[in-house]
Amino acid sequence: MRRKSIGERIRLLGRAGIDVVGSLGASTVFLLRVLFGRGNVGNGFTQLLIKQLFSVGVMSLVIIVVSGLFIGMVLALQGFNILSSYGSEQAVGQMVALTLLRELGPVVTALLFAGRAGSALTAEIGNMKSTEQLSSLEMIGVDPLKYIIAPRLWAGFISLPLLTMIFCVVGIWGGAMVAVDWLGVYDGSFWANMQNSVSFEKDVLNGLIKSIVFAFVVTWIAVFQGYDCEPTSEGISRATTKTVVYASLAVLGLDFILTALMFGDF
Amino acid sequence: MSADPAYAVELKGVSFKRGSRSIFNNVDIFIPRGKVTGIMGPSGSGKTTLLRLMGAQLRPSSGEVWVNGQNLPALSRSDLFDMRKQMGVLFQSGALFTDLDVFENVAFPLRVHTELPEDMIRDIVLMKLQAVGLRGAIELMPDELSGGMKRRVALARAIALDPQILMYDEPFVGQDPIAMGILVRLIRLLNDALGITSIVVSHDLAETASIADYLYVVGDTQVLGHGTPAELMESDNPRIRQFMKGIADGPVPFHFPAADYRDDLLGAR
Repeated sequence: MRRKSIGERIRLLGRAGIDVVGSLGASTVFLLRVLFGRGNVGNGFTQLLIKQLFSVGVMSLVIIVVSGLFIGMVLALQGFNILSSYGSEQAVGQMVALTLLRELGPVVTALLFAGRAGSALTAEIGNMKSTEQLSSLEMIGVDPLKYIIAPRLWAGFISLPLLTMIFCVVGIWGGAMVAVDWLGVYDGSFWANMQNSVSFEKDVLNGLIKSIVFAFVVTWIAVFQGYDCEPTSEGISRATTKTVVYASLAVLGLDFILTALMFGDF
Repeated sequence: MSADPAYAVELKGVSFKRGSRSIFNNVDIFIPRGKVTGIMGPSGSGKTTLLRLMGAQLRPSSGEVWVNGQNLPALSRSDLFDMRKQMGVLFQSGALFTDLDVFENVAFPLRVHTELPEDMIRDIVLMKLQAVGLRGAIELMPDELSGGMKRRVALARAIALDPQILMYDEPFVGQDPIAMGILVRLIRLLNDALGITSIVVSHDLAETASIADYLYVVGDTQVLGHGTPAELMESDNPRIRQFMKGIADGPVPFHFPAADYRDDLLGAR
């Protein structure tokens, strides 16, 4: 392979930088058009939204509930093992609840959502593009940003925070099942410790804010990758992979920033 | 510059580039109102791109695209979507909405753009489907239709709002002889019965020439020639003659540009 000169490498680096900025700009314009652009979708936006809430939200329920249950159970088991060596196994409930509400609930739900619903959104929109359904909508005089993208984007915004809440509730229930029913932690102290230590504003609300931010970012990435993909089978496959990778990295990166802002005490 | 009412679509000095590659360079095309106009040219000559420029799905690098008296590149996004109600497009693949059945596909433009009562929508859909011979298929899903049937349903959807301009992107590709004959007749029939302007983009010479009132031949970023099918058949231009007579090699080369064949074969050792 030909060895690249320093000038050539600097040029390629500059080109990559311009591409990243260009892509960020394009996705921002795309988002603004979806959210604030005018467009005619007839009188069926609510119906379109309900349909998408079902496929994006309801269809993700199984994976969220099952994952939440197991993660709560594992947390209780590990917590009991560690805490019992200090004689503090009564604090298992507090540990499970805080871990789920502050971190694992929003983050794991967002990661699962990116894998289950995000990739499906990208593939579906990409496929519509490759089969000229989006072009066909445009030529019928219907803006695909309002008819196809907007209901999916709003469905993601609404679904993910709700799924996060369900994940946390099921996780705590799974934790109680292991700690109280199986390992014999006294249920009075399990729930009382949890109730005393969990603050609605600091823990529940902050977890909810995280999930709203993740919902926004994950769904935005998913629909943009689908809309912007190359309309070939290889292009759709690349876009789907990008959705999962970018969304996961964005969730983990943003989680650190949000945690620092919410719990960093500065 | 304003538009001439004799023409439904006017492309004036249009250039279009993809990256650094020029697809069209300063092209003028005038589509007469109420006629069937064929746009022909070899594969890869940019015919579908031309159709997308006329529908403003692509913006020209320079030049004007006038449709029914409006310069499309100058319209706002929402005005453009309004303008497109006057156009219908039959895409090469049909582009039916895969989650809707045949009836809902054809009813879609009516539901979005009109507030007609349900029984009237049903009547219109049945009339459009009757015109393309598929009234009996209203309950089928797109994946239950053959390629030719999909295109006929898409045609019924394209005429649902009674557009003034109907554009066909390679309507004859992959059609069996029966479906081909039906489509050829339909295009002519719809044009004459509805008094619309039809633009047929195709490289199927015999079929297009048999129904077109006027033809444009494009290639090499230019309009190579235009006229009635009879005029183009008699053209002295060697490029047009090669295309119209279907000669394999000539000014439009059969081979993609490549290194010397002998050097290529021997150089590999």
